[in-house]
Amino acid sequence: MWYHKPVIDEELLRSLPNLKIVSSSGVGIDHLDLKLLSRFGVKVSNTPFAVSTDTADFGMALMLASARRLVEGYQMAVSPDTEYFPGNWLGVKVSGATLGIVGMGTIGYKVAQRAKAFEMKILYHNRNQRNKEEESAVGAVYCKKIDDLLQQSDFVMLAVNLTPQTHKLIGKRELELMKPTATLVNISRGLVVDQDALMEALQNKVIRAAALDVTYPEPLPRDHPLLKMKNVIITPHIGSATEDTRRIMMQDMAESIEAALAGLPVPNEVV
Amino acid sequence: MFRGRAFGLLKSLHLMGSQPNLPHKLIHPALTSHVHHCQKRRNVDYRQSYNTGPTSAGGRTLNVPQNKVMAEQELPAVLILDIGGTQGVLENLVVLLKKHFRLVTMKEFLKNKKEMSKKIQSVFVFECRPTIDRELLESLPNLKVIANSGVGVDHLDLKMISSFGVKVTNTPQAVADSTADMGMALMLASARRLVEDTEHFAVDWLGVEVTRATLGIIGMGSIGYKVAQRAKAFEMKILYHNRNRRKMEEEQAVGAHYCEKMDDLLQQSDFVLLVVSLSPETRKLIGKRELGLMKPTATLINISRGAVIDQDALVEALQKKIIRAAALDVTYPEPLPRDHPLLKLNNIIITPHIGTATVQAIRMMAEEAITNMLAVLNGQPIPSEVVPK
Repeated sequence: MWYHKPVIDEELLRSLPNLKIVSSSGVGIDHLDLKLLSRFGVKVSNTPFAVSTDTADFGMALMLASARRLVEGYQMAVSPDTEYFPGNWLGVKVSGATLGIVGMGTIGYKVAQRAKAFEMKILYHNRNQRNKEEESAVGAVYCKKIDDLLQQSDFVMLAVNLTPQTHKLIGKRELELMKPTATLVNISRGLVVDQDALMEALQNKVIRAAALDVTYPEPLPRDHPLLKMKNVIITPHIGSATEDTRRIMMQDMAESIEAALAGLPVPNEVV
Repeated sequence: MFRGRAFGLLKSLHLMGSQPNLPHKLIHPALTSHVHHCQKRRNVDYRQSYNTGPTSAGGRTLNVPQNKVMAEQELPAVLILDIGGTQGVLENLVVLLKKHFRLVTMKEFLKNKKEMSKKIQSVFVFECRPTIDRELLESLPNLKVIANSGVGVDHLDLKMISSFGVKVTNTPQAVADSTADMGMALMLASARRLVEDTEHFAVDWLGVEVTRATLGIIGMGSIGYKVAQRAKAFEMKILYHNRNRRKMEEEQAVGAHYCEKMDDLLQQSDFVLLVVSLSPETRKLIGKRELGLMKPTATLINISRGAVIDQDALVEALQKKIIRAAALDVTYPEPLPRDHPLLKLNNIIITPHIGTATVQAIRMMAEEAITNMLAVLNGQPIPSEVVPK
């Protein structure tokens, strides 16, 4: 399946008695009912490693673009109404700032590796603490309580997967814990953030800005308030959208399918 | 009001931490193509000198020496154009300046010329203002230093200023991090098509990879080197072209390969980043021939000066897809005329010369200028003086 389509429901599964495997592009599998598929004896695979580098790159791209007001700047530079570039038009620094990574899996860790080169101070919150070598390799400090991370970070980057535990992980309370100068970057899933609370926080300048590659739904309705805010960057879920990575994802999916059909151990199987 | 952002240029000297008594090095002049208040383009060669003695700025936090508590009247007087508004010094910077200086706006000066002219020892030039001309210099007999906020000083007539015995200083350190960040921001935004508008979430909305791609840096001064440090974390293969080759340790630290011939860099790079100063040698450095040497999948990024690129050749190259895309923080002029062909292309990102436009960098530029001014007025080694050759 590609971009979560076709939708897998009980009716479809009943009509495909010889279905062996559902191979899903990307790493997220929140759109699949694993219990249901297991009942029908259908295997599931995803493509976790292919997407990690590009998604980490994109997290950095969003953070930099938001901090430096790149999209706003571009619009000003090309607008037919622009006569001069105004003074006192400033963004915030990335180099030397504090980055809080929520979800330090493969993608979160790659973000940390990149952020280190910008001399960022790196905090992270994760279900489990990483080992000491991994932490010191990127200079990351563990925050057992997410609140500590939220209060200290200039940039909060969400790189968790979507589960019942992470659903609306960032709500009104969490946004208020953040600095008023802070930026929220979401490269995980739209539902990890309470979108209404986010809108309110941005309108009331509770946080400085947000940069979202993911929303709920995708795309947002064209009259959604988030689309009108100057301090919000939204991209169309392109975290892994490069030619090379898409080709690798396809290869991974084909491999998983072939293995399942041959009755062999399935690479990238989700259990 | 036009915003002039002069920022880090090619340095053959790389400042890392504090090093005592660095020798003088030659760098090229920065010629700016700013319109409005940065009107004049100058062909003056100058020499940048760095003095990182105990009283000078090193590293990111600048220790501005604290004067004894003095009555405001006794503080040395600094001339600025204005406070706040669209053309003046930002108000939070005024607070910093007032700790060490008595500020005199141009308006106050002109009203009170007789009394003020002998008192002013320094001018703080912010966004290329106030304009320094012969008339002004003649009316400030006790002027010791013109401190520029920003690193480019092409809007200043260095020979003329020097003939009055006045020193000129700039702020090379304050600009480096933010400009390197801007270079990375533009490269990532262009590669991943972050800025483009779309109505649907097309399945084939694909960009190109940054990680493990080849980055060619033209101009490996302070800023270029900081870009290399950042790009290394993206596992990029780094090539560089520079007047002089860097030391082996410096190359190895970022995994950079020297390309003595720029052509080699152009032919191999997926991303070409321009970080040179503008000089007679670098004017139109990238023209039709150079663009033709680049890969058709390559991206050109410019964080130096608009005039380093032959803009007409760039328009043609982008229209004919000779290169994939461009991302420019600088153009010639700034802003471009609203009917300019570059504005109509969809494979280009242009930003309004914001390489140093962060709250922190602006503050650091003021602090670096203050440190320079105090050094001159106290007869101490000057951290970053610019001298005509």
